[in-house]
Amino acid sequence: MAWADTVVAVLKKYNVRYLNYVPDSKIEKLLEAARNLGGFEPLPLTREEEGVGVVCGQSIGGARGVLLCPTAGLGNSINALASLAIAYRIPCPIIIGVRGDLGEFNPGQVPMGQATKGILDAMRIPTYSITREDEVEKMTEGALRVCYAAEAPVAILITNELAGWKEGRTRT
Amino acid sequence: MIDRAEASKYLVSKLTDEVVVTSLGNEKYDLRAAGEYVRTFYNWNSMGIASSIGLGLAMARPDLKVIVYDGDGSLLMNLGSLATIALRAPKNLIHIVWDNRSYAMTGGQPTATAYHTDLGVIAKGAGYPKVERVETNAEFGNIADRALVEPGPWFIHCLMQEKPVAGGGLPSPTAIKHRFMDAIGAHH
Repeated sequence: MAWADTVVAVLKKYNVRYLNYVPDSKIEKLLEAARNLGGFEPLPLTREEEGVGVVCGQSIGGARGVLLCPTAGLGNSINALASLAIAYRIPCPIIIGVRGDLGEFNPGQVPMGQATKGILDAMRIPTYSITREDEVEKMTEGALRVCYAAEAPVAILITNELAGWKEGRTRT
Repeated sequence: MIDRAEASKYLVSKLTDEVVVTSLGNEKYDLRAAGEYVRTFYNWNSMGIASSIGLGLAMARPDLKVIVYDGDGSLLMNLGSLATIALRAPKNLIHIVWDNRSYAMTGGQPTATAYHTDLGVIAKGAGYPKVERVETNAEFGNIADRALVEPGPWFIHCLMQEKPVAGGGLPSPTAIKHRFMDAIGAHH
């Protein structure tokens, strides 16, 4: 199974139904795997901060959702995570497609990509970085278990080591 | 102009099993002063995202009407949520926006609605099927009565003058969450 198929299979095992997303090339792999597996409801967002609200609303309603977004989107969601998911203790799994790291071509992605781990650490959000195919199932499942046990946000990073970097137009 | 405290009393008197999500502004104090309704998710400081929390709840619980108690300043911070709500179009969502044209909690600075911005027009443009503008308490009562029984999503744009609000503080965030989830029988 490709990494994305494994991730969505674990989401299904934990009854995660709603895939609330801002797209990215890695996120599209997850959405495609979810379409193939079936049983999910995708919701496109205009901004990641909205997604934290939506996941938390689903969660206090007794249903499970996940926020899918690129690293840049984490920056758009910080006060929502702090003031809602953390302050109210609401489980909020976030799967982040990493940009701005190994192999990045876009200079606008690098600062946020490099700051991501430090920001998550400052927020005390448990972070699980997946770099190897043979760890996808364990890391995804382990992260979700922490999320629902702690009733808190957790971040799963889909790295370029695992999923490859994006080819793009380099600077002239 | 509507008296929000009176309108809040009217709304609370009509509630049976609906759920309410508030924004962080003064509207939450008027709602609470109108009577303790335990199916209320009070918002301490999540700027702008009451409408998004309401959307998530409306998706998770299609059996319940979800009322979002929002304000102009908050909604202006999350206008994109109007497009997302219209896209998903949950029939059980009632989005009430109290428009006092100011950031009342921070000293009354004017918001964009004090100038040229019309939130009802934006909601219509975003694709809400039912948009109403109300300026009196009688109109508010009529529209609220309809919204509680007819399918939405509704956008109820309420024009008001800010007045001093009654009431004290809120329970802790975790107390609010547990009380709310217990009341609707939800588990994470």
